[in-house]
Amino acid sequence: MRKIAALYGGSSQHFRSLNEPKYRKYYDRLIYLPDLENTSLDEFDALVVPSQLHMGLVMKSREKIKQFAEKGGIVVAFGPQPREWIPGQNWELRPTNFWWWLDKNAKSGLVLQKPDYDLFSYITLADATWHQHGVYWPPEGAEVLISTEDGGAVLYVDKVSTAGTWIVTTLDPDFHFGSYFMPATERFLDGFLPWLAEGNV
Amino acid sequence: MDQRTDFLMLDSGCCFGEPRLKDPNYQDFFSFIDVYDLPEHDLSPYKCLVITGLIDQELLYKQKEQIRDFLDGGKVLVFSGNLFLPWLPGASAFVPKEIRNHSDYDVTIAKEHPIFAGVQTYDMTYNKGVAGFFARGHHPLPDGAEVLLTLPGGEPITYIDRNSTKGTILVHSGNDLFGYNHPGKSTGRIALQLTEWARNEYRQLQEPQERGAYA
Repeated sequence: MRKIAALYGGSSQHFRSLNEPKYRKYYDRLIYLPDLENTSLDEFDALVVPSQLHMGLVMKSREKIKQFAEKGGIVVAFGPQPREWIPGQNWELRPTNFWWWLDKNAKSGLVLQKPDYDLFSYITLADATWHQHGVYWPPEGAEVLISTEDGGAVLYVDKVSTAGTWIVTTLDPDFHFGSYFMPATERFLDGFLPWLAEGNV
Repeated sequence: MDQRTDFLMLDSGCCFGEPRLKDPNYQDFFSFIDVYDLPEHDLSPYKCLVITGLIDQELLYKQKEQIRDFLDGGKVLVFSGNLFLPWLPGASAFVPKEIRNHSDYDVTIAKEHPIFAGVQTYDMTYNKGVAGFFARGHHPLPDGAEVLLTLPGGEPITYIDRNSTKGTILVHSGNDLFGYNHPGKSTGRIALQLTEWARNEYRQLQEPQERGAYA
């Protein structure tokens, strides 16, 4: 079982999605974001960076997070992350497709690129399907697990930019679960966190 | 008079809050500060403090005396979101609604009020035919609160509390009410009507003191 820390920004959405008992058991520690600067990450294997954190404080700690990855740590970044703090971050903002499922021949536009990746022993593509706020164009050598039809990354794993692993997604399941909205986001977290804790990342 | 002393909005610093900082509709009468600058910021010039559900409530809890002092100066506070820490006088933690059917999200006007005048409840409940955007639970009421909107079980979505402090608190359990300013739907009236209400409320709160000064 990996030792996981999560950043906690103090919003009601953060509070709920991190403290829900079935998720809280995967977090060894919640680090209040303003305290991150003075908190050691050395004991952790993975760091979860939720959606909708204070961007100024995240930017202030980007070197610290990068150093954590350089020591072999796993960094998870939920989306959207419009400020550049992820190595090789190449974010393209797109209008959010809130309403695709109301269309007659509804297609979410998501493509499962690596069905054999261990994450998909824990979640299905449907569990990752609600809407996207944009796409990433990841660095060469990164593995795109879920993409849009034109190849933009919705979820990718980057083991080349640092000595560690970056799991980067445009999806914001924690925000929606924390807002009591959208059931698929709960199914995503139900599978994603056990995978992060014990799966083949 | 600088109208930017009318409303002070705390910026959560997260990306969903960013569009408001740049929205031209708010530049003339809204001031914005980063939430982490609140402890050092003098609130005395402002009439109304606006706080949304994306905010760091741990910080607000540390600053609860500052917030109470602001209200006791006969000021107005509008909060939209889900409370989970006791930083707002009289308020209780958010209680999510158990949803069995989309009609569980139906909004009812409990009392005709200038903030929601001319606003159709259908427009509050539904967005492109989908329910659930407006409110998904409630905050239990402080004594004597005035309830404006409810969910089908009578849960109060929006209330006004004039008893817990010497000022006025409006608590709404959904998205930022000042964000409802888009023409084309009747909900687009809310932001302007809320603005007018907050200014009137402030005027009424300050009146006795002014009369006192000349008595």
